[in-house]
Amino acid sequence: MVPTKRDISQVEEVDTDGQIVSNQKKTFRKNEHMQEKPLESNDDDDDDDEEGEEEEVTHKSKNVSGSTAAYDIHVARETAELFQSNIFKLQIDELVGQVKLNEKHVLKVEKFLHRFYDLVQQIPDWEEKTISETLSYFKGKPVSIPFVDPKPAVTATNYKFNYKAPEVSLIGSFALKTGIYQPQGSSIDVLLTMPKELFEKKDFLNLRCLHKRSVYLAYFTYHLTNLLARDKLDDFLTVEYSYLHDDPLLPILTLKCQPGEDHKHELNFHKTKFSINLIIGFPYKIFESKKLLPNKNCIRIAKEDNDTPLEATSLYNYSVLSASAYEPYLKYLYKCKKETEAFREASILGRLWLQQRGFSSKISQSGSLGGFGTFEFSTLMTVLLNGGGENGNKILLHGFSSYQLFKGVIKYLATMDLCTEGHLQFHSDITYAAAVSKYVQEGFQTPTIFDKSTKINILSKLSVSNYNILKFYAKETLAMLNDVVQDRFANIFLTNINRSDQLKYDLCYDLKFPTNGSAESDLISKFTATERIKYITIENFLVHKVISVIKYALNDRIANLEVQLVGHRSNFAVNKRKPLVVMSPGSHFNFDHIRIKLLINQEESEKLITKGPLHSEQASQAAVLFKSFWGPKSSLRRFKNGSINHCCLWTTSSSEPVISSIIPFIIKRHLSEGINIDNTITKQFQDLLPLSNLAASSKTSVLNMTSFFNVKKSFDDLYKIIFRMKLPLSVKSILPVDTSFRYTSLCQPVPFAYSDPKFFQNIILEFETSQKWPDEITSLEKAKTAFLLKIEEQLASEHGTKYKSFFARDESIPFNLDVTTLNILTPEGYGFKFRILTERDEVLYLRAISNARKEATPALENTFLEFTSAYLASIRHTRTIENISHSYQFYSPVVRLFKKWLDCHLLMGHLKDELIELIAMKPFTDHYPYSIPGSVENGFLKILKFIAQWNWKDEPLILDLVKPDAAYEDQMEVSIGGSEINSETMKKLSEKLTLAQYKAIQSNFRNLRKDDPNGIHLQFFVASKNDPSGILYSSNIPLAIATRLTALAKVAINLIQTHGLNSQTIDLLFAPGLKDYDFVVHLKVPNRLKISSGIITQSEFKNLTNIDAPSSFPTDLNELSQKMDPTYQLVKYLNMKYKNTMIFSSHKYIGVNGGTHGNENVITGLIKPLYKKQMKFKVNMDCNAKPVDAESVVLNKESIYHEIAAFSSDLIVKFDLD
Amino acid sequence: MSDTEQKSKKITSMNNGFIVLPFKLPSFDVLQSKRSCYHYIFAKKHDSNNENEQNCLFIMNLPLLTNLESIKSITSQICEKYDTVSHIENLMYNDEFGLNEVDLSVLTSDLMAESQDKIEKRFTPRNTALVKFIDKSSLSNCLNALKKYSTSSKSDLLEWKYNTPSIETFINFYKPLDIDYLKEDVHTHLSLFEQREQQAQDDVQSSIVDEDGFTLVVGKNTKNLNSIRKKILNRNPLLKNDSEGVSKPTTAVDKKAKQDFYRFQVRERKKQEINQLLSKFKEDQERIKVMKEKRKFNPYKNSL
Repeated sequence: MVPTKRDISQVEEVDTDGQIVSNQKKTFRKNEHMQEKPLESNDDDDDDDEEGEEEEVTHKSKNVSGSTAAYDIHVARETAELFQSNIFKLQIDELVGQVKLNEKHVLKVEKFLHRFYDLVQQIPDWEEKTISETLSYFKGKPVSIPFVDPKPAVTATNYKFNYKAPEVSLIGSFALKTGIYQPQGSSIDVLLTMPKELFEKKDFLNLRCLHKRSVYLAYFTYHLTNLLARDKLDDFLTVEYSYLHDDPLLPILTLKCQPGEDHKHELNFHKTKFSINLIIGFPYKIFESKKLLPNKNCIRIAKEDNDTPLEATSLYNYSVLSASAYEPYLKYLYKCKKETEAFREASILGRLWLQQRGFSSKISQSGSLGGFGTFEFSTLMTVLLNGGGENGNKILLHGFSSYQLFKGVIKYLATMDLCTEGHLQFHSDITYAAAVSKYVQEGFQTPTIFDKSTKINILSKLSVSNYNILKFYAKETLAMLNDVVQDRFANIFLTNINRSDQLKYDLCYDLKFPTNGSAESDLISKFTATERIKYITIENFLVHKVISVIKYALNDRIANLEVQLVGHRSNFAVNKRKPLVVMSPGSHFNFDHIRIKLLINQEESEKLITKGPLHSEQASQAAVLFKSFWGPKSSLRRFKNGSINHCCLWTTSSSEPVISSIIPFIIKRHLSEGINIDNTITKQFQDLLPLSNLAASSKTSVLNMTSFFNVKKSFDDLYKIIFRMKLPLSVKSILPVDTSFRYTSLCQPVPFAYSDPKFFQNIILEFETSQKWPDEITSLEKAKTAFLLKIEEQLASEHGTKYKSFFARDESIPFNLDVTTLNILTPEGYGFKFRILTERDEVLYLRAISNARKEATPALENTFLEFTSAYLASIRHTRTIENISHSYQFYSPVVRLFKKWLDCHLLMGHLKDELIELIAMKPFTDHYPYSIPGSVENGFLKILKFIAQWNWKDEPLILDLVKPDAAYEDQMEVSIGGSEINSETMKKLSEKLTLAQYKAIQSNFRNLRKDDPNGIHLQFFVASKNDPSGILYSSNIPLAIATRLTALAKVAINLIQTHGLNSQTIDLLFAPGLKDYDFVVHLKVPNRLKISSGIITQSEFKNLTNIDAPSSFPTDLNELSQKMDPTYQLVKYLNMKYKNTMIFSSHKYIGVNGGTHGNENVITGLIKPLYKKQMKFKVNMDCNAKPVDAESVVLNKESIYHEIAAFSSDLIVKFDLD
Repeated sequence: MSDTEQKSKKITSMNNGFIVLPFKLPSFDVLQSKRSCYHYIFAKKHDSNNENEQNCLFIMNLPLLTNLESIKSITSQICEKYDTVSHIENLMYNDEFGLNEVDLSVLTSDLMAESQDKIEKRFTPRNTALVKFIDKSSLSNCLNALKKYSTSSKSDLLEWKYNTPSIETFINFYKPLDIDYLKEDVHTHLSLFEQREQQAQDDVQSSIVDEDGFTLVVGKNTKNLNSIRKKILNRNPLLKNDSEGVSKPTTAVDKKAKQDFYRFQVRERKKQEINQLLSKFKEDQERIKVMKEKRKFNPYKNSL
């Protein structure tokens, strides 16, 4: 939009009037037409606001008197067009309302600002002073000069320092009125512009202007503190130096209020939580901007050879230039804001979006997610409102809604490359009529949005790696915004993903420096003068070094990385020159340790070989680099295709990812030998997974699926044999439906490890359709058994030497006592449990429901559900999970760890494997706003977090069981200006849940909750395309168990939140809380079942344990039972007997959780609350009772304990009563 | 606790006529309780028209793993004490673990039922059973003895002897089934079934009237009457959760008819659209209200 002359004049007025000149209020009266005027005109402001409100009120009242419906229709229509959906718009409205600044607070702080303005006017001017005069002036005074490093040498400094009254103005979001309420408080930026006459033309060189500013700031601070003391304001006002945006070149003064006795003082704005940043700026265009372009050198240092040009000092140049350009940007944004109605709302959305992801305006060169804050977001939005396309076409229009503006910016960030392939340029000079912003296809290898007017790249503070992270989040958010099925609002704006590194990132490593300082001196020696002018501080240099070393070393193993200086300080007392470093004794660095945070690339992260460049006679540059980088690790290898490459070979381990061996190696090699690299969490979590008793298991990556593939291979052989058998009916399908086939069994499948409760894997066998199956359930089961007998016969006669088999009763379907399974043991050492499914089964179960008397119907419906889940849905479930888990590499170890956690807490016996697997799938398929888990601990913690926050009473869990959408990658290609057709067809082809299906599931949930509003009967509604009913796997969970799961997850998350993750807290996570139960029975079984479950402990000697490990099946199959867990049956029957009154729990995997040898177990009992009270004596009360009086009874606990003791007489070792 | 103990001692029968029979329980080392514990069985004479259930005692809350033998031994002990004799014939409906609460076989077909007219099984509440006596006098002798026993003093109470399972009992659940037994069982069962099925088919009457009053013609190959009747009644409990698939197939006429031919059609449609839009808008507003009440819009929630 080209500003009209009138516009310009208005803006110019802002310029002059947008300063704090409180005693000139009359002049501001002129500007009453401006609604959003900077600070001093708060009276006018109020008027304006009120006017605005009045207008609105009248507007509304008109509508009320007219037709409400018509107005609503109008709003509804408009929002449907302008926003993604009505609900989204309403949510935005609510959110914006929530974060509104408190008007009273604003008034209060404005009052102070007026007073502050007066104080500033009272600071006396100074006279030109030399460096030594200056130093002596401050000697003995409570204020130091915050000189930037290196401070000026007394001998070599021949320029003068001075103070003359500054121009004072408000800048930043407070001035723009785009600020929002933040619980930790917001800051108000006040700009004090140094007068022109204090500078010389060449002052931009060699930090001169910065030194002048430091003295200026110190002089200002000294007098301000004096004035504050004079007016008795120092009782509650505190002043402190700090580096604005962590930029060590930009010291500022911050003003804060303390609570205290003077709480009531009219100027004390402590309650408002505001703080005031006093920024000293340079006059606009004081230096020739061309000389400060990002590629110019402005800090001259002595060099031995004068031929090579000095390194560019882009950080320094940016700092100098931007210090003179605060006001032009304010005007630029202000003008745009005036023209764009939704600007304010959109920039609030942008601010929240960035905050929730941890982005800020801080300089990213000193670590953390800096470089892109609200200022950059708003500026980008303004730039895009003025163009932004390749031909300068406008990407955003002024009439857009806040949603459209926000989405437009996100889309631009997600789809346009501003780093390697191109950059965006614009003119911030609002007087320049032809100012259109343009996308230029020329990349500078650094993120660039270049302002032609000021010669500033406003993304100077954004490092390449942070830009990649930003882009990554933008892509994720765009995908969420494009999602028409689910409401993603909360994920976009409400969830702060920055609270825990373990949830946000897959792996974290802490680099710690030993106290003897050896590592530091190593690094300090690497920080030469050339490095200094480029990176300014050694901290920045270290961050850069760590990032570049890790990027080269890990390459495509990682998707993103962030480096954070933990304990970095940017504020310091006014009597100090710079932040005091007292982190660790002997440390010279402004941080405690460095934290490397990685998002890994699941497909590449565990590869064994780092492949380098091709080997050639004459070493190529890349090869030389590779060799020198890796040093002794580098070797030559010949690959299958005949090529010889430089590469590094790594080893995998069950306790640590490959990355954990690469990082220490390269950090020690390229930074310092002395650095300690610490990541115990990952190791501890991975070691919690049961280690399988397989060859080299401790050297096998958690992502390695070989043990599962071996089961599948063994099954395939058996499958072929059975398929070829001649039977009365031909085999239609043989489908595996158990955990090993979907990589989710707690213990990895180990040959002959038949103590593992999941050793026998369920297989469903179906024959071709036949009318002849008996129409009665017992006979049907007998007929099935007859078929299995035939199979057994043929297997014994034809393959009897290799395969063994036996029959067993199966009790998985309640009340159907005639199910038999054929259990086959394969020569490879695996077991399969065959059961037959016929087309008649379902009919018969349904018939039973309709025939049953009313009281028995729920029990029979449950039977039917059990049948459906075991025989029908399990097929789909296994197929789906197996299929998609290939794309979620960490799903298998994560779900296995989660099962271990559940079994530690005695919950496994109550929850179906399928339910657990679906819940565990949530962080993978529905990962927003986080990324897909890329480590065991990350996935596991996300599951706990989800359960802790899942309000199952009101919320269904609806899973879209698809692979991570390649679809959205395609949508990405439909970048700005592209056609939308592709994305439409993509949507049609994808297997994702459609809106209709999603809604159907939601209505299923609502129907369910109509009958059971509090979730007494069914807590976890978990639905997917496979099971839209949502009740298949969760219908039989006792309420107490469901709430216990939620409570345990909450406790776990609380623990992590308050104490962080360390070895103690992790141990606590996996410690069962036995005290919560009414009684605990400790059991011991005669046989040790750990090794026969296929599990060993890392420290155990393989050869010793292997002697105990079965390596074949016993000839007498009756002996198999000797190594099976009797406690499982005991608990099962206890639960059956006391079904009505108590809930018994125990470890289901005695080999995993049954002590060091796998021969201990506990049974815990919970008495249902209803039976803890006295009750009326009734015939159908179903409990072991003793009479209290002639009418009422109480639960006879003692008798029950006796029965339990009698029931488990051979196993019991201890009985703990509450 | 001693209070309740005192009280409970006095209670010899409940208001609804049940006799309270306390038994001393054996002590267990692991339980470490010094006081002796008691188990209470409740018994009452059973009145029923059922021929099968004559001369029965209705008892509640049998101790762990009680079987006919243990009942016999305890009653004979009590009877002996009060110089009388009583003979027990059977212990009925004792389903301690609830395995037989539902008889699926009977519910799916009447073919295998023991007698044709008894379609549904006799239902007794859990934790109850019937003790059947040989004759009336046995029952009354026993009842009298029990009444006396229930009033006897603490020291005279008998100790109950549990049938305790061994580890083997639990391990046996894992043992393979005997193949020969299994073969025999399958064979006999299936031949019985076939025989009965044949019988049933021969008996089939050719007319059944369905809901609409039509007579169903049953072919010879149809399994039995039951299956058809039940098929009509059957409804999948999962289907009620499936809102899909209810839509009627569109007919050719529907396809041909234009939806925007008349002005009123267009007007109606627009009106409908706007109404829909409006109602959805209102609905959304309500939803937001609810969410707001639950404080769903705080971006600064202080949890992980």
